[in-house]
Amino acid sequence: MRAVIEVKDLSKTYGDVKAVDQVNLQVEEGALFGLLGPNGSGKTTMIKMLTGQTRPTSGLVTVLGIDVIRDPVMVREQVGIIPEQETPPSFLTALEYLKFVAAVRKIPDIKAKSDWWFDFLDFADKKNVLCKDLSRGTRQKLMFTQAFIHEPALALIDEPLINFDPITQNLVKDYLAEYVRKGRTIFISTHILEVAEEICSGFAILHTGKLLHTGSVAELIRRGEHLPDFFLSLVRKVSNV
Amino acid sequence: MFGSLSFALFPVMIFGIAFMGSFLIPLVQGTLPSGTLTLLIHVSYLMLGIMVGGFGLLGNEVMNHRFGQSSLLTYSARSLPLSEKFIFLNFVIKDTVYYFFLWVFPFGFGYIIASPFIGVPLLSTLYLLLTLTLSFLFGLCSVFFLSVIYVRSRMVLWIILLVLCACTGLFVIMTGKSPVLIFPPILLSNAFTWVNFMISCGILTLLFIIAIMLFNPESVGSEKKYRDSFSPLMQHFSYLPDPPLTAKDILDLYRSKSLIGQTIFSFLLPLIVIWFFLSLLTPVFPPYGLLFIFAVTTGVIASTMYTWVTMFDSFGPYSCLPVAVSTLITGKLTTFAILQVIPAIFIATVAVLSGEVAFLFPAVVLGISISFYAVSVMARLCGLSPNLLVYDVRVLFIYLICIGIVLVIFTTVSFADPYYALSAVILAIPTWILIKRARVKWDSVDPGGF
Repeated sequence: MRAVIEVKDLSKTYGDVKAVDQVNLQVEEGALFGLLGPNGSGKTTMIKMLTGQTRPTSGLVTVLGIDVIRDPVMVREQVGIIPEQETPPSFLTALEYLKFVAAVRKIPDIKAKSDWWFDFLDFADKKNVLCKDLSRGTRQKLMFTQAFIHEPALALIDEPLINFDPITQNLVKDYLAEYVRKGRTIFISTHILEVAEEICSGFAILHTGKLLHTGSVAELIRRGEHLPDFFLSLVRKVSNV
Repeated sequence: MFGSLSFALFPVMIFGIAFMGSFLIPLVQGTLPSGTLTLLIHVSYLMLGIMVGGFGLLGNEVMNHRFGQSSLLTYSARSLPLSEKFIFLNFVIKDTVYYFFLWVFPFGFGYIIASPFIGVPLLSTLYLLLTLTLSFLFGLCSVFFLSVIYVRSRMVLWIILLVLCACTGLFVIMTGKSPVLIFPPILLSNAFTWVNFMISCGILTLLFIIAIMLFNPESVGSEKKYRDSFSPLMQHFSYLPDPPLTAKDILDLYRSKSLIGQTIFSFLLPLIVIWFFLSLLTPVFPPYGLLFIFAVTTGVIASTMYTWVTMFDSFGPYSCLPVAVSTLITGKLTTFAILQVIPAIFIATVAVLSGEVAFLFPAVVLGISISFYAVSVMARLCGLSPNLLVYDVRVLFIYLICIGIVLVIFTTVSFADPYYALSAVILAIPTWILIKRARVKWDSVDPGGF
C-alpha cells in the first residue's frame, strides 16, 4: 500500500507556542485514519499543514506524492477538505456555493451531483437559501458536500460529525466507511473517541503538539482494549510525568 | 487598541505630519489664504467622518468579517441580557472614539504643539481641534443617519436627499453664496459662539439618537429564497480571468446591499461634498483645473472600492479550495475593474454638467488611470486586507509617497494642458508591475495568517 500522507519532523510554532512538535506520521491508501487528541493538542494545525492552509515552521509533508510546502494549490486540487471553522460564503445560496465550487474545481455535471447530495443529506429544501441564513448543521452538510462532490482520492476532515443530528451522523459514518471500501483514503481529526473507535482503522494520538502513539484500532481490540480507555490512560501518563 | 507597534505609530505619524506641516503654513499662505486652508482641512475631516459613518450598512455578516474574532460580541445578544441595538451602539461609539484618536486628535495636537513656534495663539489651535472634531462628527452622524434610513427605506432616503438638494439650491439662488459657508464647523472656526456650538452639538446628538433608534438589526433565521443568479453571472463574465470569483463578488455586493449603499455613502456623497468645497478654490486653478483636480480626487476615492470587495471575506473561506492568494487578489481586482464604470460615468457627468465636455475624455482617462494605479499600490502593500493594513504606519507612509508623487505630477501636467492628462495611461506600466509583484508577495505569505 502506498502512503498517501507522509510527514517528517513536522513542526509549527506560533510565537513561543509549539503547536506541533516534530511529528512523524504515515497514512496508507485505503485507510480511515483518525488523528486524536484533546482540545489544543494541535490537530487542527496538523490538518492545516497537510492541506497547505498554513506553512510548517520546519519539516516535510507530502500528500498524494505532492510536496505541500512547494505546491499547496495542487494538493487542494486533489483532496477534499472540511475545515473545522470556515463557513461557506454568506451571500451565496447553498446551490450557488456548490456551483461556485464546481466552477473552481472544474467539476462537470454539477446539477446531477448536487441534486444527489441535497437528497442524500436531506437539505434540498434549503438549496435556495443564503448560506448566512442556514443553520449550523445545514452549513456543515454543505461543507461536507463540497469536500466530496469531486470524489477525491483523499479527504481531510476536521471533526466530521460536528453539528450533525444523530440521523445524519449515521448517514455520514456509513458514507465514510463505504468511501474507503472503494480504495480511497479519509483522514479525520476528532476529540470524540467513540466515533474514532467505531469508524477508524488507524489512529494517532497527539498531545500538546507531540505525537504520543500511532496504531491500528484492530490491534487495540485484539488486545482487549478500548480506544477511549487507551487514549485517556496514555494522556494521563504523559500529563503526570 | 493597537495590536502592534506599527499600528500604534499611526497616530504618531499623523501628529508628526501636522506638526511639521504647520511650519509650512506661512509659506502656503502666499498662495492660499488661511481661510481656504482651514476650509480644506475641515473638508478632509468631514470626508473622514463620511467615509467611516456608514454604520447603518453594517449587518451582522459584515460585522463578522470586519471584526473577526469579535463576532462573539456581535451575537452575544442571543445569550446575554443585551439588546442588539445596545451592542451596535457600543460598536459605533468604539469606532468613533477609535477614529478620533487615530486621526482627529493627533492632527489637532500636532498643530497645538507647533503653534508657539509659528506665532498662532493657543486658543485658536484649541478651537481648531474642536471644529475639526465637529467636522468629523458631522460627516459621521450624517452618513450614519442616512445609511440607517437607506436600509429601512430607500424611498424615504431619496425623499430626504431631494429635500436637502432643494434646500441647498434655494439657498444658493437666494443668497448667491456657497452652502458650505453655513456648515456649522466652518461658521464656528470663523467666529466661535457658544450658541452655535450648542446648536451644532444638538444637531449631532439628534442625528445620532435617531440613527440608533431606527437602526434595524438583521433578522435572524430568515429563509428567504433566491433563484440561482450565480450561473448566469458567471456566464456573463466568462471572458474574464476568474469568472466564478467575480460572479461571487458581485453577488456579495448586491445581496448585502453594499453596492448601492457604498456607492452613495462612500463614493457619491464624499465627492459631491468635495466638489462644493473645491469649487471655492476655482480662482486658484486654471480655467479647466477644477475638473481635472476633481478627476484626480475621484480616482483616489474610486480606488477605495477595492475595500468594498475585500470586506466580505479574507482567504479563509477559500482555503479548502484550489485557489491561491494571488488568484483571489486578481479576482478582487477584476471585480474592482468592473466597478470603475461608476467613477468613469461620474467624471463624465461632472464634465458635462460643468460645461467642460471638450475635456471629458482626458478627465476620465486621468481619473481611471489614477484609480487603477492607486489600487495596485494598495494591493501590493495590503493584499486582501486593505482595511486593516492601511493603518500600519510603514504601509501608509509608502502608500502616501507612491500616490502623492503621481498625483502631483499628473495634476501639474493636466494644469499645463488638459490634453496632457491623456499621458496618465502610462500609469498602466507601474500598475501592471505592482499587481504582478502583489501576486508574488502575497503568495509567499503564510496563508494561515489571513
